[in-house]
Amino acid sequence: MTRPAATDSPGLPHPDLVAAIPRLRRYARVLTGESSRADDLVQDTLARGWEKRRLWRAGSDLRAWLFTIMHNVYINQLALARRDAANVSIDADPGNPAWQLPVRANQLERVELLELLQHMGRLSADQREVLLLAAVEELRYEEIASILQIPIGTVMSRLSRARSNLRQLIAEPASALRVVK
Amino acid sequence: MNSAHTTPIPEADIQAFVDGQLAPGRTALVEAAMLGDSELAARIAALRAQNVALREALDPALADPIPAHLIAAAVPPDSRAARFGRRLAPALAVAATLIVGVGVGWFGRDALIERAGTPTTFARQAAFAHALYAADINRPVEIWAAEEKRLVTWLTKRLGFQVHAPDLNAVGYALVGGRLVAGNEKPTALFMYENADKERLSLQVRKQGSGSGEAAFRYAVENGVGVFYWIDDACGYAISGNVDRAQLLKIAHIVYGQLAAADAGAPK
Repeated sequence: MTRPAATDSPGLPHPDLVAAIPRLRRYARVLTGESSRADDLVQDTLARGWEKRRLWRAGSDLRAWLFTIMHNVYINQLALARRDAANVSIDADPGNPAWQLPVRANQLERVELLELLQHMGRLSADQREVLLLAAVEELRYEEIASILQIPIGTVMSRLSRARSNLRQLIAEPASALRVVK
Repeated sequence: MNSAHTTPIPEADIQAFVDGQLAPGRTALVEAAMLGDSELAARIAALRAQNVALREALDPALADPIPAHLIAAAVPPDSRAARFGRRLAPALAVAATLIVGVGVGWFGRDALIERAGTPTTFARQAAFAHALYAADINRPVEIWAAEEKRLVTWLTKRLGFQVHAPDLNAVGYALVGGRLVAGNEKPTALFMYENADKERLSLQVRKQGSGSGEAAFRYAVENGVGVFYWIDDACGYAISGNVDRAQLLKIAHIVYGQLAAADAGAPK
């Protein structure tokens, strides 16, 4: 009964796409650290998704497919911004100093959660991304490797670094902008 | 990390263990190593706690209302251009927020109903009433579950037909109580449920206006609240909550089954 509609209904938003939007927005906010830029990224991702819709394998995980597109759109935007399309990755993207929490502060019941997100903003984008996909979205490592187009071993080592960096940041209260490697 | 690892457990296995993605054979090895290595055990516990905290911190983002321009971006682009024209896009986006999930075959029908207005309005009202009262810690209901009989009698009288409060204990939700909610034309009965994690669901029931026949389960997300709703025997039912669609559907089936049994005269 709740199978995704096989065909697009003219004039109506595709229900499966709409259902994916909250997760896309969250991913985009974690990635960009900026809510308005995040919504632009979601919009670009949906547009790209429509362009590439013939490439989507029916029955496969739409969320993972859209995440892949979002990751690529984001990388391409970074590349354009840096005019260095040849070798840009977000691996080198430093933590955003103007990091906006991906969640409104008044939605968080405990101050530790607020602090956790603030610390998360000091991780590099590639580490934030892998933490979101593994710990929050609870995707399989193989799926994450496919979304990020990196080997599974890289997913795991990046995840390990992200986690220990985050723990370290939490353990060091009030240490101002420390560079985390 | 602070010290060199003397443990033979590879780092990748620790990560996979924390995420519940380690193969069973290797899981046993990690569990055995944790018994003899309190530092490892503490680290794994901390990483698991970190996972839980990250989810708790980031899950509220999923409840944010979706901006209209993003819903408009989920409309097939050819139809956006060809059928409606760009100037209609904002109006379309507003209408679009009213419809979300539909199954095969319900698509065309949903479009018609959407234009007629009624059932989607019900889903939206149900979501708003749920959001309003479920967030109220102290007074989510007018009559508490301790007086369930009085509650049901009162709501039955006010709605003008027999209502029932389904028993959702099997899925971990206990009845909190109920209240009367203003509806379009007729009042709506609201039953609130809560699980051990203090997550609330509400079931809303009302008499539908004329011209509304049977309708299968339909799903909508309104301002981050998921709603399954259906029409049966001229009554509209909506079950709302911030739980995922699959779980909400399961609960909707249970409610449907219990109400059908109650209507068939079976003792509740």
